[in-house]
Amino acid sequence: MPPTLLADPGPDPAQAAPATSWRVSGWPDGGRPEAFLALDRGTATLAGSIVGRVDRRWRLLAATALPAGSDPGALLGLLVDRFRSADPVLAENTLGRPAGGPESVDGWPQLVALSAPAATLAIIAATDRTRARLEEAALGAGWNVVGGSAERTDPLALTRLATRPGVDALLIGVADPPDADERELAAELAVAGAGIAVRRPGLRIFLAGSVPDAPLLDVLRDPAIVRLAAPPRLPGEAAPASLRLALAAARRGPDDGRAALAAAAGSLARVLGLRVEVLDIGVSGAARILASPGPGNDGGIVADVRMLEVPGAALFRIDQPGTIERIDHWFTQGLDRARLRDRLAELALAPWSDLDGDGALLRAAALRAALERLLEASGPTLGDDGVDLVIGTGGAWSAVPGPAAAHIVADVIRRSGAMQVAVDHARLLGPIGTIADDAERDAVCADLAEDALLRLGTIVTPRGLRANRAAGRLEIVSGGVRSEVELVAGGLTLVDLPPGARGTAELAFRGAAELGVRGRRFQVQVTGGLAGLVLDLRDVPLRLPERPDRRREILATWEQALWPEREA
Amino acid sequence: MSDGLELVPARAFLDPRPRVRLELQPGDRLVAAAGEAVSTGDVLAERIRDPRLVEVPMPRHAADQVVPLPGTWLPVQHARGGRRAGAPAGELLFEHAGRRRLVTGAHLDLLHAPADGRVVEVEPGAAVVLDFDGPDLCASELLGEPNSGRLVLLPDESDPRLAMDIALAGAVVVIPGRVDAEALTRARAMGIHGAVVESLAERDRRDLAASAARQQAGLHRMAPFGVLVLGGYLRRGLPAAIRAVLEAVAGDVVGLVGDPPLLLLSPRRVLPMPAPDRLLVRGGPEAGREGRWLGPGGYRRLRGGIGSETGLVALDDGRTVAIPIGDLERFVFAAPGG
Repeated sequence: MPPTLLADPGPDPAQAAPATSWRVSGWPDGGRPEAFLALDRGTATLAGSIVGRVDRRWRLLAATALPAGSDPGALLGLLVDRFRSADPVLAENTLGRPAGGPESVDGWPQLVALSAPAATLAIIAATDRTRARLEEAALGAGWNVVGGSAERTDPLALTRLATRPGVDALLIGVADPPDADERELAAELAVAGAGIAVRRPGLRIFLAGSVPDAPLLDVLRDPAIVRLAAPPRLPGEAAPASLRLALAAARRGPDDGRAALAAAAGSLARVLGLRVEVLDIGVSGAARILASPGPGNDGGIVADVRMLEVPGAALFRIDQPGTIERIDHWFTQGLDRARLRDRLAELALAPWSDLDGDGALLRAAALRAALERLLEASGPTLGDDGVDLVIGTGGAWSAVPGPAAAHIVADVIRRSGAMQVAVDHARLLGPIGTIADDAERDAVCADLAEDALLRLGTIVTPRGLRANRAAGRLEIVSGGVRSEVELVAGGLTLVDLPPGARGTAELAFRGAAELGVRGRRFQVQVTGGLAGLVLDLRDVPLRLPERPDRRREILATWEQALWPEREA
Repeated sequence: MSDGLELVPARAFLDPRPRVRLELQPGDRLVAAAGEAVSTGDVLAERIRDPRLVEVPMPRHAADQVVPLPGTWLPVQHARGGRRAGAPAGELLFEHAGRRRLVTGAHLDLLHAPADGRVVEVEPGAAVVLDFDGPDLCASELLGEPNSGRLVLLPDESDPRLAMDIALAGAVVVIPGRVDAEALTRARAMGIHGAVVESLAERDRRDLAASAARQQAGLHRMAPFGVLVLGGYLRRGLPAAIRAVLEAVAGDVVGLVGDPPLLLLSPRRVLPMPAPDRLLVRGGPEAGREGRWLGPGGYRRLRGGIGSETGLVALDDGRTVAIPIGDLERFVFAAPGG
């Protein structure tokens, strides 16, 4: 049987990091900076890092994160003080001598990524079919959506829907080509849209398909109307990617953190030569990004990058049916439903409060449920194929210890195969992604990849094992040392493999199992991390007891293995 | 300012000059005009309780006249000689294919100004926008409708259901202790105009909304009632800085508004401000306590293995503790316009 082989996790820094001509804008004397400040300004978190040149490479020198209401200047001062006291010589070489007085953010070259809360788009369409497709495209572009169709909703209700507080933009659409009934309704929709635009001056207006703009031009002095591709008419056909991309571009600002993450994921895929999956989960939104390297026409390496935003997978979003139930499903502490809802609503208001104790466990349960929503919503568009490296980013991942984050990935991503897992612990990927030039971004990524990614280890998930039975044997060779582990199906087997360590794992199963392909013997290249090598011998998909007490008990047992401090 | 105090997230608790939107629905008739100064209680708009859509033919010769914009209030058109249908008074939703869609309705409610201010913008059928002289107290949410009344602070440990009687009709009451939907429903029944609470559980919010919806559906509707939530969902006491402001304005007429959520205060009052280094502990084991910032406490590992920046806080009970920065709040003025 063919083995499942993983690519090399990282390049040799000396070879992969040519001297770069990259310059950070804002450097006071116009020369090449020796250090810069990377800021990821999320809706809940302000993450800052000092990146400096050490031995001709960019290195992460200091990083921390604070609640979003904190002052960036104070954060910078904290980082500089910490760096100077930890390594005064290196600090003086990279930052210069202390100037005296507080550090000013304005005096530093910066890379800044911004994440804004998802804006709300009102969709009014001729038919429910068209509304559904427009909604699908808008949700994938990161909008919160309210919608109705002229087919089912009267004009008064449509007007109320589009003029309610919080609506930022209006999308009026018909299919392409329009059905006969849509053709008649298109003109009336345009007139209704003009009525809405008069009531809400400043509302951004998008027209999809053959909706006439004359009524809008009649009543508005200088309307900012954006024409978009129409959704397809045929049933079962997905909304075109161009419509989603146009809606995403219309929502985002120039420094949008999630667009920058996609660019950074592409650079990582090129630099590391790995298929990369970035799972961004924050308080205001979520996104899943897939980046795969491949040969380019010019002999170089290009990356195919696909991203889908899923606002409904935001960490503490509990307004969708069944969300509370799923969080309760994963929560290992018994809490009545009303109290659980209040705790989550409070965390949505103050995401940084209650970090310790059962607040951490609640966050971990909410993260599992959010990750489920993200994968479920993005599956039809992005698929569920295996990748080499899964990266967690966003505030949700930094509020759980590293090994616990690996366990969360193992619990929710139930793909047979092997994957490395890492988290963007310093929130550097977003700022790096704001570098516009691919080559310059790749060079910075090559330097910073190992510093920016906190390696959690490798998860190996075979499918088709019979629970609670001896499943086979693992032999692992790392650093010239060979060790053997007997495998028992139904649980997690942990093998200590520290960060930086690499090895080869040989799995010999008693019966046929699936590890990407079906077979009995597999060889897998593994890399270490905080969680080490995690052999996940549980069911795929994961089956848990229906009884809450029994479920909590078994979840807590697994959680305890990778998060021993949880009871502290 | 103390060393590193800006690391602590700032909570805007006073807005120096707020701009407030009062929501309207299509069919509501504006009484106030842009640029007009209004006093507390002045009628800003007539609200239709159950708006309905009617479709009427365009009046004769309408094609020769200036086309009214959507949102224009059109007077009643009487039927003549049985040959031309009439039209009720109502707001024009839009005109299309020779017919007008009007929003009209029978039962009117009045939208009153919640405080002295100035109308700066009207968006027909959407909102009326007003400027008020601040500073006004920031909140997190208004449940129910904007309103105004004399501010009365209920005693800390009293049962609000017993403390609220008919003598408080027309007042806005501050309930510092435990509060639930039952107490708020009773307040509404007593003719109280509104309540200010630090927190309210989700279940009580839903019960209150259901009770308000039933009132809305009734033929004889009760007076507007609003609940202004200053904090969140978990039970907490009033922070000292907010309590001091509320005590300073007790007895004054105040207003409740929801966009943004604010308690509108008399601009003539001098309000007590907390010391800049005064902190509130929002979460964790010390939740609800207050103290003074001493400086950064370093990056520490918390219970459960989570790492976080901390701050050293001298709590009012005499202890000095390191508390995660995320559990701390300091009170500041909101940025103008923000």
